[in-house]
Amino acid sequence: MFEPVILKNINIPDSFKLSAYINSGGYQALKKALEMTPDALIQMVKDSGLRGRGGAGFSTGLKWSFIPKDATLQKYLCCNADEGEPGTFKDRAIIEYDPHQLVEGMIIASYAIGADTSYIYIRGEFAFGADRLEAAIKEAYQKNYLGKNILGSKFNHDMYVHRGAGAYICGEETALLESIEGRRALPRIKPPFPAHVGLFGKPTVINNVETLACIPHIINKGASWFASIGPAKSPGPKLFGISGSVNKPGLYELPMGTPLREIIYTHAGGMKPGKKLKAVVPGGVSAPMLTEKDLDTPMDFDSLAAKGTMLGSGAVVVIDDSMCIVKAALITHEFFHHESCGKCTPCREGLDWIVKVMRRIEHGQGKEGDIELLQKLCVDIFGRTFCPLGDGAVMALRGAFNNFREEFEYHIKNKRCMVNGNR
Amino acid sequence: MATVKINGKEITVEDGTLILDAAKSAGFEIPTMCYHARLSKLASCRVCLVEIVGQKKLQPSCVTPVMHNMEVLTESPVVKSARSSMIELLLANHPLDCPVCDKGGECELQDVTFKFGPRKSPFGEPKRRFNEEDYILSPVIVQNINRCIQCKRCVRICAEVVGAGVLGSIGRGTGTQETSFVKEYLDCDHCGNCIEVCPVGSLMSRSFRYKSRPWDLSGVDTVCTYCGTGCQLTVQARNGEVVRVISNPDTGINNETLCARGRFGYSFINSHERLVTPMVRVDGKLEPSTWDKALDTIRTGLTNAIKMGEKIGGVASARLTNEELYLFQKLMRVALKSNNLEAGSRWNSDSVKEFIDVMGLKNGGVSIYDALKADTVLIIGTAISDENPVTDYIIRRLSSYRKMNIIIMSSRGLKLDSSAKILLRHKPGAEREIIGAITNIITGKSKGTSGQDNIVAAAEIIKNSNSVSIAVGNDVLRIASQLSYINDLTDSLKGLGKEVKLFPVLDRANQRGAWDMGVHPALLPGYKSTGEEGLGCDGIIQSALKGEVGALYIAGEDVVSDFPDGRAAREALGKVKFLIVQDMFLTETAKMANVLLPSASFVEKDGTFTNQEGRVQRLRRLYAPQGDVKADWEIISAIGETVAPSFGVKSATDIFNEIKEVVPMYRDISFEGLNGNGAILQLSGSSEGSGVVARFIGQNRRDNPSGLSPETVDPEYPFTLITGNHLYHSGRLSMKVDKLREILNEAIVEISEEDALVLGITEGVKVRVKSKSYEAYLTAKINSGTAKGVVFIPENFTDVLVNMFFKMGEGFPRVKVQLP
Amino acid sequence: MLSEAAVNEIKDIRKRYATARSCIMPCLYVVQKEYGYITEDGMREIAKILGVKPVLVFEVSTFYTMYNKKPVGRYHVQVCTNISCSIMDGEHIVDVISRKLGVKVKETTPDKKFTLSTVECLGSCGTAPMMQINDKYYENLNDTKVEEILNSLR
Repeated sequence: MFEPVILKNINIPDSFKLSAYINSGGYQALKKALEMTPDALIQMVKDSGLRGRGGAGFSTGLKWSFIPKDATLQKYLCCNADEGEPGTFKDRAIIEYDPHQLVEGMIIASYAIGADTSYIYIRGEFAFGADRLEAAIKEAYQKNYLGKNILGSKFNHDMYVHRGAGAYICGEETALLESIEGRRALPRIKPPFPAHVGLFGKPTVINNVETLACIPHIINKGASWFASIGPAKSPGPKLFGISGSVNKPGLYELPMGTPLREIIYTHAGGMKPGKKLKAVVPGGVSAPMLTEKDLDTPMDFDSLAAKGTMLGSGAVVVIDDSMCIVKAALITHEFFHHESCGKCTPCREGLDWIVKVMRRIEHGQGKEGDIELLQKLCVDIFGRTFCPLGDGAVMALRGAFNNFREEFEYHIKNKRCMVNGNR
Repeated sequence: MATVKINGKEITVEDGTLILDAAKSAGFEIPTMCYHARLSKLASCRVCLVEIVGQKKLQPSCVTPVMHNMEVLTESPVVKSARSSMIELLLANHPLDCPVCDKGGECELQDVTFKFGPRKSPFGEPKRRFNEEDYILSPVIVQNINRCIQCKRCVRICAEVVGAGVLGSIGRGTGTQETSFVKEYLDCDHCGNCIEVCPVGSLMSRSFRYKSRPWDLSGVDTVCTYCGTGCQLTVQARNGEVVRVISNPDTGINNETLCARGRFGYSFINSHERLVTPMVRVDGKLEPSTWDKALDTIRTGLTNAIKMGEKIGGVASARLTNEELYLFQKLMRVALKSNNLEAGSRWNSDSVKEFIDVMGLKNGGVSIYDALKADTVLIIGTAISDENPVTDYIIRRLSSYRKMNIIIMSSRGLKLDSSAKILLRHKPGAEREIIGAITNIITGKSKGTSGQDNIVAAAEIIKNSNSVSIAVGNDVLRIASQLSYINDLTDSLKGLGKEVKLFPVLDRANQRGAWDMGVHPALLPGYKSTGEEGLGCDGIIQSALKGEVGALYIAGEDVVSDFPDGRAAREALGKVKFLIVQDMFLTETAKMANVLLPSASFVEKDGTFTNQEGRVQRLRRLYAPQGDVKADWEIISAIGETVAPSFGVKSATDIFNEIKEVVPMYRDISFEGLNGNGAILQLSGSSEGSGVVARFIGQNRRDNPSGLSPETVDPEYPFTLITGNHLYHSGRLSMKVDKLREILNEAIVEISEEDALVLGITEGVKVRVKSKSYEAYLTAKINSGTAKGVVFIPENFTDVLVNMFFKMGEGFPRVKVQLP
Repeated sequence: MLSEAAVNEIKDIRKRYATARSCIMPCLYVVQKEYGYITEDGMREIAKILGVKPVLVFEVSTFYTMYNKKPVGRYHVQVCTNISCSIMDGEHIVDVISRKLGVKVKETTPDKKFTLSTVECLGSCGTAPMMQINDKYYENLNDTKVEEILNSLR
């Protein structure tokens, strides 16, 4: 059994309270970090091999190193707690049950990049989590883990919670910045990158909750400890959220690189009685689905990329044989269509066109040529959008086509569903 | 510099050049929809995607700068295909309304589809429909939201350039509407710039809706007749009726922008109220007549006045062309031997002369773009956002690109306030005090007193700037006062080694031209001094009241409505023995004429205007004046011939040629060659004065340097009344435009938030404004930025004649304001 | 007019950000708390307090789904119908609620107590099917639980 790192506290009673966190060794990492130089900290994180847990998988240490060293510039840290990718529910556990772990990670990260203020951008629906975070921050101020001259180190830092209000696009880092600035969350033109022109025009780092939660552990146990877990290029403990037709859906902390089969069958108890595995979405709905033949793929950034899909947020959604793939694809596509910010033509108009065609197909009004049309639209959209949302929609749809084209063809030809015979 | 290859063609461009511009200079067109040269960049339409060799993803050429050795392909198969698909996607939800859409024939989406788009599309789904009804957003703006392609040019221009910020993106995703949230009339400038930049038929002009297809229009490029900004515009007509005014993005200092007056204020041209025939007073009544009879009567009237040795005066409108104004002063001086003339009737002529001097107008022109290169721009004496809207737009836009300290001195709250670093609110007439204080602080003579924090801060900013531009508006001329304080500031700044530019802000299209042409009692064309000074308009009125004026010739100016003492003006004109008036309309002044002559509008003649920058631009004739109407210069010429047979001229060009000989600054200007942005006047080292600016060591002609409110303030009349042009109007001309009257028809009184609270006045209620000698009822408008104790009534409205509040020699009127 | 408590809350919010405009989102929540939904007057008041143009507030309020453009019932029942919840029959839960309350999706019960909506992923996929009522999550639903929960809400 893999010894939990990120989730080690969540079963402790009142784990979210400062007292519980301290009892379990909390804020030791902060003390250690404040005695190091920011450069040494950044190098440590680089050496650990930690890659962003939000989905992009970019080297966290490298991202931190992009921040200019000019001490006269104000800098910001933003924590991306928007957790909107369908299938994903990992950050929520940290926020609700071990918020101090996140807070500590954020203070250390801020110290490393020289940020005097940070914001936790938390999706509006996580009201409970936001309350827990605000309480934790308040406790942290009381113990001088936040505020002026933290633990006598001369480092000042303020932390705030900013609540979203229902927009998946805020998970995109520049859209997140726009949202904090009080605007509609439309992604920004890059370059300039947030490391140079970020929140309020200042150098900014945006990191995912889980990424920041790793930081205290790296400080406490060392970079090489972290790097030794899982594959060398994609190391560390990882929270895998598994949902769908399995017996024990939920959150499992396992080493990066754990095979998908193990997650589904060993940890999540396998398929529900009477259900056969049909498809698995490995990393949130933007990741093209896999089938039975791919179950031995190690769940890490590079192995999944090699299979034409992605680790993303590590959200595993198991689809059983009673679910029509056309319907699943439509649900996913409706999601992207609903969440499109509307800025760029291909996403706004392209996804709209696709969803109209797919609705027809799903409801028995498919026409000959519809699949070719959808494929043409995928080509029109992919790689031409302003941000990856449009790409995610296309990848999901292509994943459905590539593996289950016959279901689409059946819907179109027979005006009803291949799986359950309904219109 | 960067050397790049575009489609194999090698070119060298400046570092940071956008691929879009580099391609254009290499001769390759890349279509764009959301891109606009003068608006913030979005890169959202994706129509401009190009291929960069070595990069997997296509890049938007409108935001990507070239890099040295970059190879760009703008015509490769993948680029062409991507371009075509983006257009196809834009057309997917776009209603194919072309047959019924105003924009057909000048639609950017049509154009780009024709050139780069697909010929067919498999789209067969229901199109998104926001609303079956058009949105009526304003008296001038209507929107078919279904046609919108979300380019957001309208939202950007409204926020970034116009500064009104009333349009926004409402909703999300496919459901986004670029429009106003509230579905009543927009509380905006009604400038129609959103319409101008809309690439499709979404935002449309209500004045032009369904009137014509663009290919049925004839048009001319000319200059706006309203304020002194000098916007270039294109007036278009169909079947002899002007139906639209548009602005070409590539010409004029205004590019694609105009204000409500410029864009929608044209219907006076075809108004039924236009005078169409000469009129002569017979038995006390004005009756239609013929040119021969009218000129005969004039000959008699003028000859009598000359014979009797009585005073002869002339007042010309500053909306006349340079040619007309030159000819006017020549008529007065050469044919009628009189120096009693002025252009405009609202200001004291001594102050005008001083203004000309301190602003250095005889030194040539200054382009607004040069003036705005300064570190600090100080704006005084003009409610600039209302008076010269497009000047306000230019300042706003430029100040968003670079660090520019804007300091505004005004008695009223202005739209430009939000772009300013320091706001100096002051009582009317206090300009000299404040500028004096600033001058003393920057020269170290004083540190400022308590309560002068803003003044000290302003002085600090000015002191730390390397270059300062001072924009002075003509409000400083409304009450006679000395303007030496401007000189003192300018001299002090120059003494500190700062680069100083002076920039007049004038509220009439050709005011500067009028002064260049010497329509002033003390100045000849080119600012040479007359030997003996004559009387300006105020002097003529005073003289007329004493019965000394034998003949008065008024060309286009409504003296009775504009002179700051309506009662005196009417009485004076009544005492003039022989009054000649030429105008387009039967104004209050026209009604008093002995002979009334019908004159042409600005689109019915050729000529030139010189704007506030000193930029000479061409007016072009769209069609000849109708019936018996004549251009002002033709009338002046004919009148001249009645007393001096050799006076007549044949064409505006002939007059301009004479101007070139007489006025050194105009020597190098070519009438036919004035295209595009005209030409800024240069002081070319003429014989007169050789560039040395003669100082006006003036004495006021009045004992009381009026303009400073009397020491003892009558508590019964606690408010100071100021006037000026309203945003939607200019002089009285705009009142002849139905559309502008639809936007605002009745006079308003603007009052500060504080005062309104004290008096219990809320927005939109009718209030009574009363001075010792006049009272009126007006709708109240609350302006939170306006100074306490100040009320503003615009000078444009016919229902309330604000000049009746004013009395000669008494400075700013004092009034009380109460709920009726 | 916003209550004094609300105005004070806005003053606190202002301290958290470098610009006034950033306060628009939290201020909209203040308005929603006060009136139950985002009123036009509320938005104008926020604009005035913050010193921003009203259209900037309008834009934000219509972009994000959690700001109610219209009044909602005392209990806003939001059922997730995204992929994981659909696999676990979230649609059925919607039907159950719809039948019990007698309203269709997007409708409010006549006594203004319940509004039923379907929403996108709420980040609770491991405990699907689930719903959010006002600020609270109700997870691992089945017919019985749904019945109990709705009955308990008075």
